[in-house]
Amino acid sequence: MAIATRGTSSNYLQRAPSPSGLAEVLDVILDKGLVIDAYVRVSVIGIEVLTIDARIVIASVDTYLRFAEAVNRLDLAQTETAGIEELRDGGKSAKRKSEGALEGAKEKIPGMSSDKDKERSR
Amino acid sequence: MAASATMTGVYVYGVVRADELPAVSADGVGDSAVELLERDGLAAIVSRLPGEFRVKRRDLNRHLQVLEEAFGETTVVPCAFGTVLASDADVETALLSERRPELESALSRLDGMVQLNVRAAYDQEALLHELVAGNTDVARLRDESIRLGDAGYHQRLRLGELVAGLLDGRRAEDAERIISAVSRLSEDVAVDDPGEYDALKASFLVKRKQLDRFDERLEKVARELQPVLRFEVIGPLPPTAFAGTAAAP
Repeated sequence: MAIATRGTSSNYLQRAPSPSGLAEVLDVILDKGLVIDAYVRVSVIGIEVLTIDARIVIASVDTYLRFAEAVNRLDLAQTETAGIEELRDGGKSAKRKSEGALEGAKEKIPGMSSDKDKERSR
Repeated sequence: MAASATMTGVYVYGVVRADELPAVSADGVGDSAVELLERDGLAAIVSRLPGEFRVKRRDLNRHLQVLEEAFGETTVVPCAFGTVLASDADVETALLSERRPELESALSRLDGMVQLNVRAAYDQEALLHELVAGNTDVARLRDESIRLGDAGYHQRLRLGELVAGLLDGRRAEDAERIISAVSRLSEDVAVDDPGEYDALKASFLVKRKQLDRFDERLEKVARELQPVLRFEVIGPLPPTAFAGTAAAP
């Protein structure tokens, strides 16, 4: 049941009447709802749940190194946040989020991330 | 990609007032039909599952679509995905009959309500730019770790720890700001674990007639927090995050 015009989506606020993509659907229906002592509970095993794992924030050495790499990759010569343009093209944000987490976790050759290295992996 | 869960039984999507939902036409999980089991004015929306039932991705969508169809007609108390009872009799007695007071109370509480899922996500680069610009330790550690390259492991670790802490603080501030901005226009909020670069991931329970004002207010705070934060709003949704029968805090 859609709401009559609530304003158009802008680049800072997107609206959708329904979830799209696995992560968003799971957000709505997984472990949300009336709890019944059910005969058997179907568990969502085997369906890719990478995007659920990406939600879990664990403070750890890996996390810190990921943040450091992200900061080191910044091109501080940019005065505009041109990064927004790149990110907007990326599509669903849930996927983007897990991509971001994965990118940081990828093996990086130490010393390669520098101002001289203008290559963008996105 | 399919899980195997062998079972036979009655899959329950949710509960409605019997006289307000004559039928559901959407396809159910496991390609089953969707039916209604009634007892004393309440009805459970169900599908009978075949003996061999393997959960598929599309079953997740089916579950939601059934809820959405019911929600389009009447108030629904949703069940979590994957709730299966042994038999019709169990549904009618153990659920509808024995838990009738709770169900009536939940229906009442959810009358006229919708759920909005709100996610405020940071533009990773824009946020990190702000954190670097706003903090001399971050800027210094960044320079050192870049200069030291391979040898700068400890600097990178310290840098990352510092950034993680700043991000936590920023996230808490922004989440608080967003929730306070809209709290007077919503009846309840259920906060989920945010992603690493999220400020907030939450479900709001909103009176249908307040929806436009809630949206306006949310848009206003989104405009204030851009471009570092971007918002996604999904809904109106059936109130899956608010189906519990405990009283709202």
